[in-house]
Amino acid sequence: MSDFDPGRRRFLGHLGLAGLGALGAGSLLSACASSASGPTTGNGSGAVTIQSNLSSPQAKAAMEKLIESFNAQGKGTASLNTVASETFRTQLPTYLTSANPPDLYTWYAGSVANDYASRNLLLDVSDVWKSLGDYPQSLWTLSTDGSGKQVFVPMNNYWWGFFYRKSNFAKWGVQEPKTWTDFLALCETLKSKGVPPIGIGLGDTPWVASAWFDYLNIRINGAPFHRELLAGKQRFDDPRVKAVFTRWREALPYFDPKGKAYPFQEATTALLAGKTGMFLIGTFFADAAPKDALGDLDFFRFPIIDPAVPLAEEAPTDGFFASAKTANPTGTKALLTYLSSVEAQEAYVKASSGIVLPANPKARASDSPLVVKGKAMLDEAKELTQFFNRDSSDALQPTADTALTKFIDKPDQIDAILREWQAAAEKVFKG
Amino acid sequence: MTATISTTSVTPTRRRRRSARLSPLLVAFVLVPFLVESIWVFWPALQGFWFSLTRWDGMSPPAFVGADNYVELAGDATFRGALVNTVIWLVLFGGLSVLGGFGMALVLQKERRGVGFYRAALFTPVVFSLVVTALVWRVFYQPDGIADTLLRAVGLEQLIRPWLADPQTALYAVILPALWRQIGYVMVLFLAGLKAIDPALHEAARMDGANSWQRLRHVTIPQLKGVNAVVLSVIVIDSLRSFDIVWSLTKGGPYHSSELLSTYMYSTAFQSLRLGYASAIAVVIFVLALAVILGYLVRAFREEA
Repeated sequence: MSDFDPGRRRFLGHLGLAGLGALGAGSLLSACASSASGPTTGNGSGAVTIQSNLSSPQAKAAMEKLIESFNAQGKGTASLNTVASETFRTQLPTYLTSANPPDLYTWYAGSVANDYASRNLLLDVSDVWKSLGDYPQSLWTLSTDGSGKQVFVPMNNYWWGFFYRKSNFAKWGVQEPKTWTDFLALCETLKSKGVPPIGIGLGDTPWVASAWFDYLNIRINGAPFHRELLAGKQRFDDPRVKAVFTRWREALPYFDPKGKAYPFQEATTALLAGKTGMFLIGTFFADAAPKDALGDLDFFRFPIIDPAVPLAEEAPTDGFFASAKTANPTGTKALLTYLSSVEAQEAYVKASSGIVLPANPKARASDSPLVVKGKAMLDEAKELTQFFNRDSSDALQPTADTALTKFIDKPDQIDAILREWQAAAEKVFKG
Repeated sequence: MTATISTTSVTPTRRRRRSARLSPLLVAFVLVPFLVESIWVFWPALQGFWFSLTRWDGMSPPAFVGADNYVELAGDATFRGALVNTVIWLVLFGGLSVLGGFGMALVLQKERRGVGFYRAALFTPVVFSLVVTALVWRVFYQPDGIADTLLRAVGLEQLIRPWLADPQTALYAVILPALWRQIGYVMVLFLAGLKAIDPALHEAARMDGANSWQRLRHVTIPQLKGVNAVVLSVIVIDSLRSFDIVWSLTKGGPYHSSELLSTYMYSTAFQSLRLGYASAIAVVIFVLALAVILGYLVRAFREEA
């Protein structure tokens, strides 16, 4: 009992100290954040902590393998900390603003990275980019912030397209459409055969609808207008935006009515089972597809609506950025250099589910016909866009979810929906 | 009866107060939890009030904007919808779980063979976490799921709809699993209350020729007054903080049709990153809870006085 007593007192003492610390920091939130931010490096030579949201089993295993081989090289030590995606997303600002943040993060390029960079939260990784001279210009631009320094190192990108089963298209006797007219004719044919032509999964993943908005907008109004719109420099109640929905309305009767109720994973199952004709989705959907179905999958690019508009495709780029407050910038950059190498990127592509394109142009992608076709499609594009939330912000995404699901349900109310969307977006931009 | 109790209880208190010095241990037991509580509960709560007067994205320092957030709330259609939904939730979820729980408790209060099984069965949903409950019910509601199969079996297929994705039904489809869980909990509270009623009262009423309805009306219900206060507080608080089941089934969608104040607060704070505005919503929830609970307590005390 006498042993217990001082222990308890010490415990209470700690509580008191923690409390004082919290008061001193001025905000409990930031105090909680710093204690939640995981292992700390302390001095400049400690292990680099990498916070990863790649939590699917294959991607996680691939990352573990990369970190293992980096540690084996002896240029530094790193430790991987995999966090569930949703937690990662909501915690990221807290990680970055905490006093003692993890060093390196998996995340997205483009406007999300720029936003953090503009708050001086990201490490300048221009040094790393000196060795990335053969990376394509598009990725270099994507990784450069407003002040002209590089803040992001891309790992890979993937593409979006209309995926379908080759065997089913053969069975139904239909071909890939090239133009919007072809596409609507294809939908009509499938419908007449009793198949809901277009699969979608809005149940738990309403953001899937944003792909439709993005693509229609870049096909009708072009990528520059799309980017300006998402940056708050154009209005959602603009007639040009309404034109997007006029086109979309032509395709609405062909959407799978059940798609409102289930998430994209189940829409994937429906597509693979031949219960829907095709599905506009990113290659990540194939993570959940059985291996034997992969060989039967094919895709076509989002149909051309106005041939005069320069061709753009959605190619979300994943990669890494580092905290400006890292205690070990040298080690962090060494790890980034390793992660951008041909060796690391090929290893990642091989170990992960495989339908991604490595950012390093020398790294070989998987040579499956699907990947070859995807790479060719992106190479042909004049412009690459990311995705709604990556070109705008995570904060704007819920406004799109509301507007787009409502439009799919009540297309008649489009004018009111666009007015509401503009009002909601203004609030987000205002903060 | 009350008079005797109060006179006897007042004297010893007075005597104790006069004689006892406060023991340091006792002071520590009061002060230490108070200190801990003030750091982890009161201080953040006060900070929440402060944040509700600021514009804050969670990264830059908060900027003071006065009552702007509250002015915006007053004109926010989504907020009004969430408020209406919260009231519907309070009435339906609260009311039905009290009625259901009380009914079940009445049915299951008598010790009969096998009654334990039914009590356990009704209580089982309380044991599951709400997120697990949501998963189970999602399977129930999914297209061609159990709900649709049942309707088809009884020839009501024209009623079939995407339950969680139809703005007409989403809120009610979410209330059902919440009720399914809450009824068992409320039942246990009422069972405890019913057990505490002196059987002699029922015996006497029966002797006086009261039928079972009259005994329920004039003996059982008045005797449950103490339990009612507990149940009411639990229900009001549970309704206002209901979040997990809505979030895991619909996330407040489709397009805010099943939004509650709690889900709107969460999405505003952690999806739209408008922490100042979300704090203003949190303050509204707090004030509502306080108003309902205080309103009831004041009335309850007045009745007793």
